[in-house]
Amino acid sequence: MANIFPRWANLLPLKIAVCLGAVGAGLVAGFTYYGTPKAQRVGYQPTQPIPYDHNLHVNQLGMDCRYCHSFTEHSSHANVPTANTCWNCHQHVQKGSPKLAALRDAMAVDENHLPKKDVDGNPVEGKPIQWVRIHKSPDYVYFNHSAHLNRGISCQSCHGDVHKMEKVYQAKSHSMGWCLECHRAPEKHVRPLEEVFNLDYDAEKYLKKNDVRDAKDKRITDPEDFGKFLVAHWGIRPKESCSTCHR
Amino acid sequence: MKRVLNHPQPPKEGDAVTTWRSVGEKEGSQSFRNDLDREFPNGDTLNEEEQELSRRSFTKLMGASSALAGLTLASCRRPESYIVPYKTAPEWVIPGKPLFYASTMPRVGGAVPLLVTTVEGRPRKLEPATDHPDASGTDALVQASILDLYSPSRSQDILKDGKVSDQAALLEGLKSLDLSKTALVFGSDDSPTRNRLAKELAGKGATLVSYEALTGEGLSAGVSTVVDFSKASRILSLDADFLGADPIGNSREFSKGRMGGDSEYNAEIVADKMSRLYQVETQFSITGGMADHRLRVAPSRVAMVAAEIASALGASVPASGLDDDDKAALFPGGSAAEFDQWVSECAKDLKEAASKTLVIVGSRQPKAVHQIAVAINAVLKSQAVRTVSTDLGQYGTMADLGAKVASGAVENIVFLTPSDPVYDFDGFEALAEKAKAIVHLGIRTNFTAWAANWHVPARHFLESWGDARSASGVLSLIQPMIFMPYEAVSELELLVVLNGGDFAQGDFSPAMGEVKKTFAALSGKAGDVAWREGLKNGFAADTAYADVAAPAGPIEVPKSTAPGTDNIEVVFSTDASVLDGRFIDNAWLQEAPDPVTKLTWDNAAQVSPLTAKALGIYDQVIALEPKGKFAFSDPFKRAAEAHIGEGEHAKAPFITVSIGDREITVPVLIAFGHADFAITIPLGYGQASDDGRKSAIALDADQPVVGHVGLNSGFNAYPLRSSDTPYFATGAKIGLTGNSYKVALTQEHNSMYGRALAREVSTNSLEGKGDFKEQVKEVKKQGLDAHAPVNISLYDPKGGIWSKDDAKKKSHISDDVHQWGMAIDLNTCTGCNACLVACQAENNIPIVGKDQVAMGREMHWIRMDRYFSAMETEVHGGHSSDTPTPDWVQQNPEMVPQPVACVQCEMAPCETVCPVNATVHTEEGLNSMAYNRCIGTRYCANNCPYKARRFNFFDYNKRNPLIKGNLYKGPLGKKKVGEAPHLQHNPNVTVRMRGVMEKCTYCVQRLEGAKIKQKQQQKQKTLAAGLPSTAVGVDRAVDLRVPTNSVKVACQEACPTAAISFGNLLDRESKIVKAKGNQLDSIARMFDSEEEWNNFKVEGSGRNYDLLNYVNTRPRTSYLARVKNPNPKMPDSAFLGQATINTH
Repeated sequence: MANIFPRWANLLPLKIAVCLGAVGAGLVAGFTYYGTPKAQRVGYQPTQPIPYDHNLHVNQLGMDCRYCHSFTEHSSHANVPTANTCWNCHQHVQKGSPKLAALRDAMAVDENHLPKKDVDGNPVEGKPIQWVRIHKSPDYVYFNHSAHLNRGISCQSCHGDVHKMEKVYQAKSHSMGWCLECHRAPEKHVRPLEEVFNLDYDAEKYLKKNDVRDAKDKRITDPEDFGKFLVAHWGIRPKESCSTCHR
Repeated sequence: MKRVLNHPQPPKEGDAVTTWRSVGEKEGSQSFRNDLDREFPNGDTLNEEEQELSRRSFTKLMGASSALAGLTLASCRRPESYIVPYKTAPEWVIPGKPLFYASTMPRVGGAVPLLVTTVEGRPRKLEPATDHPDASGTDALVQASILDLYSPSRSQDILKDGKVSDQAALLEGLKSLDLSKTALVFGSDDSPTRNRLAKELAGKGATLVSYEALTGEGLSAGVSTVVDFSKASRILSLDADFLGADPIGNSREFSKGRMGGDSEYNAEIVADKMSRLYQVETQFSITGGMADHRLRVAPSRVAMVAAEIASALGASVPASGLDDDDKAALFPGGSAAEFDQWVSECAKDLKEAASKTLVIVGSRQPKAVHQIAVAINAVLKSQAVRTVSTDLGQYGTMADLGAKVASGAVENIVFLTPSDPVYDFDGFEALAEKAKAIVHLGIRTNFTAWAANWHVPARHFLESWGDARSASGVLSLIQPMIFMPYEAVSELELLVVLNGGDFAQGDFSPAMGEVKKTFAALSGKAGDVAWREGLKNGFAADTAYADVAAPAGPIEVPKSTAPGTDNIEVVFSTDASVLDGRFIDNAWLQEAPDPVTKLTWDNAAQVSPLTAKALGIYDQVIALEPKGKFAFSDPFKRAAEAHIGEGEHAKAPFITVSIGDREITVPVLIAFGHADFAITIPLGYGQASDDGRKSAIALDADQPVVGHVGLNSGFNAYPLRSSDTPYFATGAKIGLTGNSYKVALTQEHNSMYGRALAREVSTNSLEGKGDFKEQVKEVKKQGLDAHAPVNISLYDPKGGIWSKDDAKKKSHISDDVHQWGMAIDLNTCTGCNACLVACQAENNIPIVGKDQVAMGREMHWIRMDRYFSAMETEVHGGHSSDTPTPDWVQQNPEMVPQPVACVQCEMAPCETVCPVNATVHTEEGLNSMAYNRCIGTRYCANNCPYKARRFNFFDYNKRNPLIKGNLYKGPLGKKKVGEAPHLQHNPNVTVRMRGVMEKCTYCVQRLEGAKIKQKQQQKQKTLAAGLPSTAVGVDRAVDLRVPTNSVKVACQEACPTAAISFGNLLDRESKIVKAKGNQLDSIARMFDSEEEWNNFKVEGSGRNYDLLNYVNTRPRTSYLARVKNPNPKMPDSAFLGQATINTH
């Protein structure tokens, strides 16, 4: 009886199996990488209704984070400024700029900053600005800004160099493993309370400038020692148990 | 060696005390015993219909979802979400932080001062105010009242003859009313601004009436009594449920008396300083449960018993008219001598306490009983009660109104009362016939709303300006926190309009000006500064009621014939859930089990076991359980068992109750401790039904009076009640129907049978148990703990206790700043459900509906257990004898409530069995629950000896469980997302979904909040020191520890009797350490030497004990035994204070 399958077909099942395996492995590998917050979230840079430039406001104008994010030291929530906070300056600065159209809508004024009226001449209600959320923790996570800022963790640790961003993007993954990394080794991030909102902080420079002494009255020069010193000195023991963040 | 601990057997020797929670348990029914072995009685598996449904819908869904998956993969992108800040920042609002306002909930018997938590403008939780002169706790009604604000069935539109109208038309309609021919019917609570405006209107000719369905006759219009429990050491309560449905005085002061004046646990209770409560009542109330001596009498006989006691005390009161047969009937199995002893010894005890005596009367009792109480208080010169004058004297009664309407003097009636006269007032037809215009102001479109010419939606008290008098008369302010976008009007605004004013314009309400005016007049402080201070505090100091002499007058003791099977007495009782019917649409209250009967979602009549036997009801109750599952199973095999339907199959037989030509049909429950030949029927139910039940009003779909919650809920007993006999009636007849009704009782659920769970001691010396001190010493050794070996663990958590090696010593429970613990004092816990509802409000706990409750799936994190206990045989020589105790002892059991939530075991059985580590321990000793990790295996609930875990069988938060069959429709079911009640949710607590286990977390969100607040102090400390932050150290135990007693959990805060203590076990000054001590191995392990530990440890009260100590779970929540303080000379004193089961 003649062979139905040619000779080259002998290895075909194996080839198919190897190919399928490779495809499967590729899918798994791809998902494990691209499915994580590190790949999904880092770099998320949506277009905002107003192209607000942090670099300009912080580095050129010298504004503090807390001028706009005013309650961040007091509340769990780091508030996005209300429209009238922007308006404090922008009723005088950049009048009529097309970039500020959304702000003028919120304040219900036209390009000349005169109250907006509808066709019947009645005053129009302002429309609040809809900022696109960049850093989003899931519903079951209860992160508290004030707990971190008041214990020497800077904005920078989680949000990256926001002060240099012309258009804000997510710099860190904000995954649970990433949170725990710091909770297990806070000394890598803790800094003096005065420097929490100084995003140009450099521990080495700080230690050169300031005479900080450890428990044995020895001057600290190494940033790592400095971190460990602060953690011990301030009694920092971050919790790792579930209910710290999940309630 | 494995230790085998069996269920304790009923005692052969020792005290033969039985403790039971239901008929099933008392009779030892087999189905009850089967239930004990189950994790969730009857509800842990899907029934056949459900299985079928879920299987089918699963396959259907699988097909659909895989088809859809292909379509949606392309759009697998994170959805864009937005942050929308305010346009202009409102004052005080900090996103993420709550704001607190002082306000008041008005109600009869004294307004409740509150502190309202608001989140970004939404009122979220009501807490009791702490610095108000009448500050106490809150009860379940207060806690649940916030849900009415967001009720989806709330009235939202102005109705003219049942059609939607508008404010302009209403204004015209109101202005056209001729005031001189108009009557205003108010509620019976006391509001100074309302009184003033009403008086102004009366000056223009308006007739003033006050009406609420169940407020009682009282002493006299305009005269009220104010009681002060702190001055009372002997209390005689005549049918007054003052801790429950009939609030009188301050519960917290009463509980302080029960603690011997020391509610801070500075020392053990001193028996001589403890107050004593005598209770004369018909049905078991939670106050009766707290009583030391309780006398069961039919309602009409309360007056006669009161007269007996009064004449024994030498008060000039006419003879009671009780003969020896009547007296003997009150003590079945005894004689008139027992009754005489009860009365004379009670009187002697009151006389000894003299001015420290307090006699109070329930509002349902007639004027004569109030007069007798005044007479006794006067004879003994009681300092604990004073008669005061109120401004309520200016209001007439409904009878006055009826006369004026009949004569034509009144043509228009404006109903402002929170009651529903069409539904609950006998004689509304006569009014409506003659009246030309009826205006109704109400928060619901109830029957009166549809019957009226104009219906005006009322504002909830959380969105209106107003004021009210608290129990002692202190002017308390009501301020609005939100305006729901409805066309609603507050009562004061309506009065302003009737008085010629205008409606509220935007945010400005004319009512505020009126309240401010009253505030200035009553407090004597005019001006904005005083007003703002008043609003901040919520009250005006020194505005209590003025004393007045009690009105004198002849006392007529109403006589009644002895009750019997043909002469049943009917009590129309206030319901703990719906009050007079006004809370019928409040889901939290409907699902909260009745404190005594444990019935949810319905009302049912209650009769005593003896009466039930005499009337043949008892046999029906026993017969209710089906004999076998299949028709062919042998009935004779099972015939010997006395079955009672339990759980899903619980049924109550229908009976008919008739008085004259009035008749209703209601289901009936056997109520232990109920007076014989009397029946209690709670009012307020049966307002709408669409299932054709008898004795309920059929739902009119065009004119709905309730939403989903109140539909098919209970039976309407108002038709049985006439205006001649509004609170109790005699001469009723009871008939059997042979039918039965499915009831949802929570009492069998999560049962822990046979253990010494709720423990009790007596201040009397008891045979075989020694005196009070010895009994307290033995509390920890009651029950199985008497001979269970000392708890040891083979798995000692890391090293020895005093090890020097840090790594070895450190256990997982390691936090050196906070270790949380809780103690629940059964001595002051009344079982009122305030904690249960407060927990529901704080922790986003959903309601599940009647069917699910019947299956044991209720989600309440706190289970309010309630035990009855009575001695069945006498004790001689320290051992029980064969002589049964008299019937009157067995028929009058004690009642002990016991709230059980997760006890946060240090060695938690649930943690070891979780396959995904969703429930683990925290460093601070909490048994935490990570909902997002839970995959719903339910192993943990299976392994929990306290049965404190709850499982979301369905997505109760998203799907409406009250629509029939809705839960079983899966994604096709009707959702309730976006409905107003979601505005009440606590943003700091996860809303759990289907398939997730949950349980008490010790309000971890509050603990974390308090700790974070404390951490913020570091910055303040640095600023205050004026040094660089690197130079300012932080002492963990000082700077990071939450201040002593400052953090309160929801149940503790709500508790009206301060029975729950919570706090940090490492803080030696805290109340919790004084109550329960801190001698835990986990804490000892934190110390370096035994000496340090010995210096630190605190023993705590001797009454403290752990629940199920012998299973070695080491719970963080413990209980303190109840103390009964019986009068040793009373006939029943030897049988009291022994509720605990003893297994010797």
